[in-house]
Amino acid sequence: MIPLSWYLILAAALFSVGLFGVLARKNAIAILLGVELMLNAVNINLVAFWRYGSLASIAGQVFAIIVFAVAAAEVAVGLGLVISVYRRRNTVVADELDLMKW
Amino acid sequence: MNPTTFAAILPEVLLLVLGILILVVEPFWKEKDRRNTGWLTFGGLLAILVVSLLAGRPGEPTSVFGGTIRFDWLGFFFKMLFIFAAAMTSLFMMDVEKLGRRGESYLLLLASTLGMNLMASASDLVMLYLAIETTSIPLYVLSGFIVDDEKSTESGFKYLLFGAMTSAVMLYGFSLLFGFTGTTNLYEIAAAVAGAQVSTVTALGVIALVLVGIGFKVSLVPFHFWAPDTYEGAPTPVAGFLSTASKAAGFAVLVRLFFIAFAKNGLAPDWTTGLAALATLTMTLGNLVAMTQTNIKRLLAYSSIAHAGYVMIGVVAFSNLGVTSVVFYLIAYILTNLAAFGIVAVFSRVAGSDKISDYAGLSRRSPWLAMAMLVAFLSLAGMPPFGGFVAKVFVFAAAVKSDLVWLAVVGVINSILGVYYYLTVLKVVYLYRMEGEAEESHPIPLTRPYGIALVVLSLGVLLIGTLFAPWFSASGAAALNLF
Amino acid sequence: MTVDLILFLILALVAVATAAGMLFSRNAVYSALFLVLNFASIAVFYLLLGAPFIAMAQITVYAGAIMVLFLFVIMLLGAEQLAPIKVLPWQRPLAIGLAAVLVAETAYLLILRAKPAADIIPPAETVNTLGELQRLGMALFNQYLLPFEVTSILLLVAMVGAIVLTKREKGERE
Repeated sequence: MIPLSWYLILAAALFSVGLFGVLARKNAIAILLGVELMLNAVNINLVAFWRYGSLASIAGQVFAIIVFAVAAAEVAVGLGLVISVYRRRNTVVADELDLMKW
Repeated sequence: MNPTTFAAILPEVLLLVLGILILVVEPFWKEKDRRNTGWLTFGGLLAILVVSLLAGRPGEPTSVFGGTIRFDWLGFFFKMLFIFAAAMTSLFMMDVEKLGRRGESYLLLLASTLGMNLMASASDLVMLYLAIETTSIPLYVLSGFIVDDEKSTESGFKYLLFGAMTSAVMLYGFSLLFGFTGTTNLYEIAAAVAGAQVSTVTALGVIALVLVGIGFKVSLVPFHFWAPDTYEGAPTPVAGFLSTASKAAGFAVLVRLFFIAFAKNGLAPDWTTGLAALATLTMTLGNLVAMTQTNIKRLLAYSSIAHAGYVMIGVVAFSNLGVTSVVFYLIAYILTNLAAFGIVAVFSRVAGSDKISDYAGLSRRSPWLAMAMLVAFLSLAGMPPFGGFVAKVFVFAAAVKSDLVWLAVVGVINSILGVYYYLTVLKVVYLYRMEGEAEESHPIPLTRPYGIALVVLSLGVLLIGTLFAPWFSASGAAALNLF
Repeated sequence: MTVDLILFLILALVAVATAAGMLFSRNAVYSALFLVLNFASIAVFYLLLGAPFIAMAQITVYAGAIMVLFLFVIMLLGAEQLAPIKVLPWQRPLAIGLAAVLVAETAYLLILRAKPAADIIPPAETVNTLGELQRLGMALFNQYLLPFEVTSILLLVAMVGAIVLTKREKGERE
């Protein structure tokens, strides 16, 4: 059997790649893709913990399903905002959106 | 479904019914009558407030819905606050162009309020995560609601990017918490953490991850970057809602998570130290940067960051009095800051500007608006006899009682810094004249919804500052229920 | 046993490689397609873990619906070409630093400190997947009924939000 920690390390690796993408990419769509990868890494964690934890609790799978739904809602709104920004500014590069300063 | 179970989600069910009602009714109204959706929302929210207070009061704390919801006074108290804040926000929204006549905007407001209610009462990680997202997603849309305004779309967009990232990090923390304890229920997690199933280092790692998500909601300092931009670009009433109700919901979660799940002896000193450092940073940075602002919405944004720092003092105190002072502070803060953003909404609707220098001569253009501003800003500055003063006193007292005198001192010094920039704004309002001294020809009319909301809020700020005992004992009762 | 192990290693390689591909490709369409591949390999992990329902949902909802939405928007906006990466001087090191801290922290937690994780009873060789599915349904409609219902509100709001944000008004709607 594959040790639990392998799954967790895989999830951590994917999560870190996603986080790096979110922090380093400039393109709004690429940032959203990074967030999706982060959520997927979390799901691997949840399902692995369910399988290796006490099987009496199915909570891990339930959590994963809820994360699916939230991700779908977030993407719908996120892409909606990307489209509305693009219509006004003709850009999806987060860096060029510097109308307001930090 | 037994009565207690139903009572536990009564406000949420009613909010949902009201939202659907608006969605159904609005298309039947003629264009010119669409503003009435605002009145409908306001009336509906008041009715929900009354019905919940009469029929939905909790008794002994109970867990309902398979432990996903805890029905207690703390949650109930926060719920009533959120519904009140939403009612005031609906009044402020009515006369905002391209926002007030759209049924969708009120539906989103109600959905977000529903999410906050669930945040305040959730006692399960699954429910908690879902509640946080149900709060945030409508707010992303509301911030970017005015699609032909560059600043608004951009503000919604930035808010979403930050929110999505921080909530994913928090979710990662939740997944580890679930993995190491084997349960999603907060109270069972508390037992597992206390039972040394989870080592201190693991717990602190998880706390750090979770804090990213909550820090974003309450705009603690390393996670505050979104706040000024979003507040500046978002429609003003939405910014007011973001800075009050949304922040209070974040604190409701923070208190429940940290005081229940991470309350283990030996663990608490570690995270209180960390949070004390964050509180210090948050207050100081918020106040210092606020001084340099020329835009009133950005000033209020940084001031609201600073206020998150003051509330944190109550959390760091980690005592019963601490929670009480947090709840009390949030009541006073919600009233005051809603009023402040409401005034900005009124002004910018007429004057079309958010620059502080354009507020010159306001006291002559509209004495009543200037009066409301005086009340709100003095309360924000922490002057007696307004709510903000008493709230600050309680928070600092909680810190002193928990042997955190240094933190209370930092808080007092920061309050003094705050007084400076709040008074600077009031100086512009009261002492400076408009260009050409033509104030009489530039009046600022108050429409009825603005008038009602500002009167209610100003009186509320005064009431809390003078007759604070009942509010304080209510906060205390709510705090007791947590443990 | 060893088959599982080899499968895991290959899949892990695919998953990490496609994630990296998503990160480094200049073309947004390639990025999205790499991610589809990544999600598909994650679905196989779920099968390995004995969660066929999650695997199916992963393929249909994630790799299917969500990623198609992404591709739609990318092509709609003609945003295939990601701007050449202009990096703020501090941003790249910060991102690497943060990601490294996270990896280190997790590795530390998992390998050195997570005793409970090591103590966990090794799972039964096979899971009764059909029985698990039934239990999942029961949990979703009993213990987690309220979150399940709230999901529907969330999706309704997301739908309204997406329409509000993208609908072009005919003239002014005053």
